[in-house]
Amino acid sequence: MLLVFFETDCPTCRLAVPYLNKLARGARVIGISQDDDAATKQFTEQLATAFPVQRDPGLALSRRFDLKFVPSLFLLDHDGRVLLSNFGFDKSVLNQIADQLRCAPVADEFDGAPQSKPGCMSRHLEPKADGEFGPALGIGSTRGLLASVVEVSDGEDAFEYCFRAFGDALPVIPPTPERVARMLGGAAVDRTEVIARVPPCYGEATIEKIAANAVMAGCVPEMMRVLLPLVRAVCDERLNIHGVQATTHFAAPLVIINGPIRKELGFACRQNVFSNVARANSTLGRALQLILLNIGGARPEGIDMSTLGNPGKFSYCIAENEEANPWEPFHVERGFPAEQSTMTLFAAEAPHGVSEHTARTPKQVLQSISYALATVWTYRACLGSEAVVVLSPEHARTIHRAGWSKRQALEFLFENTGVPVRAYEDAPDAEGSQLVSKYKEILIRGERCYQKFRAPESIRILVAGGTAGKFSAVIGSWAAGPRGSEMVTYPI
Amino acid sequence: MPTKLINPMNETPVRVSAPPARLRSLQGKTVGLLDISKTGGNLFLDRLEHLLRERHHVSNVVRTMKPTFAKPAPTAIIEQLRSLDAVVEALAD
Repeated sequence: MLLVFFETDCPTCRLAVPYLNKLARGARVIGISQDDDAATKQFTEQLATAFPVQRDPGLALSRRFDLKFVPSLFLLDHDGRVLLSNFGFDKSVLNQIADQLRCAPVADEFDGAPQSKPGCMSRHLEPKADGEFGPALGIGSTRGLLASVVEVSDGEDAFEYCFRAFGDALPVIPPTPERVARMLGGAAVDRTEVIARVPPCYGEATIEKIAANAVMAGCVPEMMRVLLPLVRAVCDERLNIHGVQATTHFAAPLVIINGPIRKELGFACRQNVFSNVARANSTLGRALQLILLNIGGARPEGIDMSTLGNPGKFSYCIAENEEANPWEPFHVERGFPAEQSTMTLFAAEAPHGVSEHTARTPKQVLQSISYALATVWTYRACLGSEAVVVLSPEHARTIHRAGWSKRQALEFLFENTGVPVRAYEDAPDAEGSQLVSKYKEILIRGERCYQKFRAPESIRILVAGGTAGKFSAVIGSWAAGPRGSEMVTYPI
Repeated sequence: MPTKLINPMNETPVRVSAPPARLRSLQGKTVGLLDISKTGGNLFLDRLEHLLRERHHVSNVVRTMKPTFAKPAPTAIIEQLRSLDAVVEALAD
């Protein structure tokens, strides 16, 4: 039997409920609410708990089990002995419990929820303050509200109305009930299902609201199969879209598409891959941006305070030119089978072009790219950022023809991208100069330099673009790593 | 006939809570200073702490810091600040 202590306003507890519901299909799960009847009733209704829930009056049971945090899970044997206990949310622990209860695994790695998340302090340890705990918000509820219906009066042009009220400063297609129904494709979906809560305002992205924004962006209905996992992926805590949307930096989420979906839905990966070449790229990227804007609330005139912004905030979606990539495709490198379509998200600056038409060896081509890499974030700042290198097919061919693997190219870029120590001598106050004690000094072609990146994995190589033209691109990141934004790849 | 549209905007219900009453004086109060861990935040907060103690006679100053400016403050830090009389957050570089 599994005993689960929870609080009704704890986001981590709410996150755990759908997994506990799955466990309850095959095993005995009992929920213990630390809150009153009304809050508990609202919690069980909102989250559709599929297991019995009891209250813990006076928190006596919580004290007896001596828990510190919620959710707290106790796996008990027939005699009530504790076999396993865990605080907080952890997918691997949930699957371990499922295994012990002889149930199928309940937590999928790519369902949009984090691998683990700390919980809240147990009620019996909280400092008391009268009236401090208001009624719980619906955070974690798997069902949202039906969208309201807006009526545009007879005298007004619907396109003009939408342009003003819903747009990204470009015209949109009015999301009429008929168009939204077509976008949902007559599939038996619950349109109030919450796919994610979109930061920074944590608006509920229901399937219906996502479809309405997809209509506005000009998506074909088939795009919903990409857009729904994309909304989950963009809200993955590792990507930290909260920070990306609220920063004064240039960052915007770049979507990189791999696999058979490119051909199925017509994603462009050749010439003009970053621009206005294909409906699939443009409308998927735009739908994502409209969702971030309209549901997430990162309006450019208010919450999003980016100093200069990024043209990618209209749409920023590319596909890899796997056919012109002489190595394994990017998503295979990220751990997926080649036939699995994926999307990868990266908090990205605009592309910075590198022209190299005369070099004939891998070293010379990559050296040219390394000079652009050294300028990512700002020239003197090392270790804090990452970069994506988009190799044009011609550059990839030059490197591959000489027998180099992608890994070799990556390691060459890592070892040969640095900022000369002399660049810091006259600028003690400049950004990056204060941190030199943390930098690693290396020699690049005889010159003392600070190594730009933390590891070879801080640089990612993919191949895209037209087969004519020796132009590649370097794309800088926002603050990288667990303290900023981490790249995420989701299956489609 | 008016055109009907499915509202594509955020309609999530929001809980509104009333702000606490404004302090009449800082004397004898405990003030939290939250450094969001951007460069130079400590310079600003050091000066502020000095002024709070010397000029406004606060009884205590609680200094705390977010692990990264790039993410919302962890619950533990919010809980630490919750019981104080006032909090100042140093936001910028």
